[in-house]
Amino acid sequence: MPPSTATWLDEQRKQALDAYEAEPVPTWRRSGFWTTTLRKLDLESLEPRTHEPVDELPEVVADALAEDELGALVLQRGASTVRTFLHPELAEQGVIVSSLEDAVEQHSELVHEWYMRRLSHEEGKFPAASAAFWTGGVFVHVPKGVRLDKPIQSVYLIDEPGTAQYAHTLVVVGENSECSFREYCLGAPIDGQALHAGGFELYAQAGANVQVAHFQDWGPGEVYDISTKRVEIGRDAHVSWVPVHLGGRLTKQTLDIITAEQGSDMRHTGLYFTEGEEHLDLFTTDKHERGHTTGDTVWKGALTGKSRASYEGLIHIVKDAQETHTYLQTHQMLLSQAAKGDAIPSLIVQTDNVSASHGGTVGELDEDQIFYMNTRGIPRSEAVRILVEGYFEEVVQRLSDPGLQALVRRRIAQKLVAAEDQVAEFIGERAGSEVAPAEGRQEDEAA
Amino acid sequence: MSLEIQNLHVRIEEREILHGVDLKVDKDQTHALMGPNGSGKSTLANTIMGNPNYEVTEGKILFNGEDLTEADPDERARAGLFLAFQYPATIPGVRLAQFLRIAVNSRREEPMKPKEFGKVLGENMELLRIDRSFSSRYLNEGFSGGEKKRAEILQLAMLKPEIAVLDETDSGLDIDALRIVSDGVNALRGPTMGTLIITHYTRILEYVKPDFVHIMLDGRIVREGGAELADELEERGYDFVREEWEGRDAA
Repeated sequence: MPPSTATWLDEQRKQALDAYEAEPVPTWRRSGFWTTTLRKLDLESLEPRTHEPVDELPEVVADALAEDELGALVLQRGASTVRTFLHPELAEQGVIVSSLEDAVEQHSELVHEWYMRRLSHEEGKFPAASAAFWTGGVFVHVPKGVRLDKPIQSVYLIDEPGTAQYAHTLVVVGENSECSFREYCLGAPIDGQALHAGGFELYAQAGANVQVAHFQDWGPGEVYDISTKRVEIGRDAHVSWVPVHLGGRLTKQTLDIITAEQGSDMRHTGLYFTEGEEHLDLFTTDKHERGHTTGDTVWKGALTGKSRASYEGLIHIVKDAQETHTYLQTHQMLLSQAAKGDAIPSLIVQTDNVSASHGGTVGELDEDQIFYMNTRGIPRSEAVRILVEGYFEEVVQRLSDPGLQALVRRRIAQKLVAAEDQVAEFIGERAGSEVAPAEGRQEDEAA
Repeated sequence: MSLEIQNLHVRIEEREILHGVDLKVDKDQTHALMGPNGSGKSTLANTIMGNPNYEVTEGKILFNGEDLTEADPDERARAGLFLAFQYPATIPGVRLAQFLRIAVNSRREEPMKPKEFGKVLGENMELLRIDRSFSSRYLNEGFSGGEKKRAEILQLAMLKPEIAVLDETDSGLDIDALRIVSDGVNALRGPTMGTLIITHYTRILEYVKPDFVHIMLDGRIVREGGAELADELEERGYDFVREEWEGRDAA
């Protein structure tokens, strides 16, 4: 464990270490065919890798980063923070953006106040691992009443096989402040295994308005990502959270967004596109802890290759959280014969006088849509591309930044090109068969 | 220049729907294909465009003398055939203008210049009295029935086919929308575009006068004539045609 001058942190790390050592490597099972197991991960062979600071952004980072004027940047390569930047304008406004390690030294009380409020090392082996072993990390603090028009960005980069990256990001946005925060998890193509075990916590205080995006593309290497991300929304605050998953050998994430006070409002919009041998397991919770809160969740995914993707989205309205209005929809599109997935919306409502509904579809490309486009002269392969891009467009639109939108569109297009033959074969077979495609729909209402 | 259908037999799954249809539409003609629900009109329209759910078991579809019976739908479209759908598909996430640009360019060697495209689109939207804001809406998503039909005719106007098949374009239109759509079709049809109007009712034919009328019953064309046949149908109804046809069958 990295030592620090903060005894409170040393104490917390020690408890986390105890939890880590006591916990077995988990296997996650759910009803049906779904199992997420780490049996192919050689955890013992991985270790934190340290790196020297850099002047230039590594290529994979420069390619991905949005080009709009940057407010701040923290770049972590492996175990080390290798670059930080804070625009003087933001510094003057009292904004803190640094590695979490530095923040612990320089703003110990502030960090202590918020650190691990909504995360716990008792949630399993990997949450314990990131709490015990994190290095570098990211800390953002936007003081009360500050409106930022330049985005704050952080990057976790893995570019060496054998890397274990234990990460922790803490973002606190003060009362009535506005900001946009984007976190990139990027991987260079590596030949071998690596692990990112991360904890992410964001607090939007009363009246704050925050745009949060997570862009994950670990690349074609064998990168395992086991992370917990949690967003808490204060009174009359609004958070729009857009997690995007575009690459990773195995991803197991818990993503929770919590409306914690009256008037808090969430917009939660996710996207995933798995390919090859990738395995993605997402569990999201929209938790309403107080009444008079609102939520709107949309998740869309697509699968090619032999990939596996499971999305489970829960709406949880606790006791006494009356006058909550929320909606969750989840869609998943299969684009190859060998891919397998599910998308399950569910609902726990422990009070009355709320409106909460959810719906989901798991399906394939619609032959009627393809035929329609064909009759306009658009060939089949192009029709498929347009349909899949159109399917994701609703989510892409919610990424408010044009640079990030372009990046996501570009990656979706690349994946479709890479999978063109298998998609053509898949939909070709289906077009030739006389049986209508199976489409599962489920709708549930609780009002 | 013509679309010629010869002895067309068509099956969906195991059931034969069309039992030998012959029809020829020249480039400067307007034809009406009429018939009650379930008579096979939409099957014919879908088969002309090559819908993979419909299987041609006998007969041919010729376009300008070329056999398109086995051609893919997009080849047929690029050759100059067009179908305005009765129930157009919704394409979420794809804006009307974006879709039209892809479609227009799919049949051109050189893509149309954006400025020219914008001008042509603007003119055609005006012709069909479609609000400019529609061009940035997702195709058919949340469109009313009438808006969908107008968007179909807008595509017809943009793609300028040689032969257009309008499948029940008049259904679900109120009188004002019917007039706008009819005006649009009248502006487009003529020496360079042949039209096959498929309809249940004679209503649209009051605005778009056909040169020829064909009546379909149970997968066969049973009566053919000029525009006056539609008037007769309006007066006497399909039952009359059916009785007459079945009488002939028995004789």
